[in-house]
Amino acid sequence: MLTVVLQQGINGIVFGSLYVLVALGLTLIYGVLVQINFAHADVVTIGAFAAYFFTFAFGGNYLISIGIALMAGAALGWLVNAAIFAPLRERGNELLPLIATIGVSILLQNAMLLWFGPIPYAFDSPYSNKVIRLWGGTFITLQNLIIVVVSALTIALLYAFMKFTFMGKALRAVSQDRETAGLMGVNPNQLIMLTFVIASALAGMGGAMLGPILVLTPFAGTTVIVKAFAIVIIGGFGNVEGTIIAGLVVGLIESYTTQFVNPGLTDIVVFTLLLLMLALRPTGLIAEKREENV
Amino acid sequence: MSDALLAVSGLIAGYGAIEVLRGIDLEVAAGEIVAVLGSNGAGKSTLNRTISGVLRATHGSIRFADSAIERERPATIVARGLIHVPEGRCVFPNLTIMENLDLGSYRRGRVRRESNRERVFAIFPRLAERRSQRAGTLSGGEQQMLAIGRALMAEPKLLILDEPSLGLSPLLVEELFALIRRINGEGIALLLVEQNVVQCLEVARRAYILEKGVFVLHGNSADIRDDPNLKRAYLGL
Repeated sequence: MLTVVLQQGINGIVFGSLYVLVALGLTLIYGVLVQINFAHADVVTIGAFAAYFFTFAFGGNYLISIGIALMAGAALGWLVNAAIFAPLRERGNELLPLIATIGVSILLQNAMLLWFGPIPYAFDSPYSNKVIRLWGGTFITLQNLIIVVVSALTIALLYAFMKFTFMGKALRAVSQDRETAGLMGVNPNQLIMLTFVIASALAGMGGAMLGPILVLTPFAGTTVIVKAFAIVIIGGFGNVEGTIIAGLVVGLIESYTTQFVNPGLTDIVVFTLLLLMLALRPTGLIAEKREENV
Repeated sequence: MSDALLAVSGLIAGYGAIEVLRGIDLEVAAGEIVAVLGSNGAGKSTLNRTISGVLRATHGSIRFADSAIERERPATIVARGLIHVPEGRCVFPNLTIMENLDLGSYRRGRVRRESNRERVFAIFPRLAERRSQRAGTLSGGEQQMLAIGRALMAEPKLLILDEPSLGLSPLLVEELFALIRRINGEGIALLLVEQNVVQCLEVARRAYILEKGVFVLHGNSADIRDDPNLKRAYLGL
């Protein structure tokens, strides 16, 4: 029994850390822009395909493919923001960029459908079959260990960037009060671009690691993004620490519900939690004090 | 005054179809303290936000240190040395005091950031003591000091203070105006936008009185202060 609890705990953390990677990008963009990026899901999918083609079409190493997916995501984030979102924001209507993210999402999905077709790809990581035995009869596959280690390192790096670098501090300032940050001489447009690039890089690498777990189709990202939205809300919109905790919590809840309750109920449990949070604590797990400008 | 540090002329600005400023002429010389007085809704904050580039002017020109700035972005205007401390202090509550201050020197580079910080800590020893505390935990008065300290980090030639005495106790207001004199003593010009008429007229050399988006009066502070008719008519004193 204890073995099962521990084992499901490990599985929950594996999924949770991937959710955190994807959700952090949404949270960062929301923090800086107060805008939801619906195209984030498709950056995840494109990251997964980038990793797939790098490993199978070109025979590349899987670990390197995570880096390739990261770069593909970053490039896509830069392109989409520079070409579409930034010019729309200049118009001053806040609804335009939001709707544009939906448009970009549909466009990317259909472009992928055209190129890659609707049939699922078998993305087998060479590390999925290597099992590492842990204490008390539990185990972790090498693939899952890679997921946890790479995610943890990335999250730690991002956290350090936000906390200790001058650029990171400016980013936090912009997300707390964009107008005042502008009065400090911060150019919000540069930091918005930086945010898009970082967020999309995280999504891309998340895709590379989700690829072997998910059913890889042009719509793969959407299944994850719905949970990522839930995590962003549970963690408190725009709150980095809250998102990290909420992501792990959701991963664990899923894993334990699957094992002890009913696999069909996992999404119901997660979204019941989401609704409860919205009703009881709409500011999220960790409430950031945002001062209103009177 | 053709050698004015800040020269605003014929300025019209507002929000969408609503015209708030309806033709403003204003000058601040280098090293001068100038007050803009007026009641709520007269357009004081709109004036500040237009000068600092947050809001675009629909007509008119703004010159600062011999360059036209009415089409420039806030970041560029800050780099030129015109710093605006917004109403309500607007410190970043989740950043520490030190982080707040450092952001003030965003356009100045690391070396000058450190020397600016020493200078600000010398003026505000209390901020130095609490440098790693979150700004949101400070009292209203301390937040105002932080907001001014953060502006000094940007090496201003002209500092615009928007309602700095708002919500401060009388004792802190005294302290604030002493501080304003001290900052001015370092050669920094100040544009004080205030409801606190009495003390403003004490410290400012000249004053403008704003009503419904136009200046209805301007002159030397001493003249306004000493003329009971003017005070009654325009300031309700």
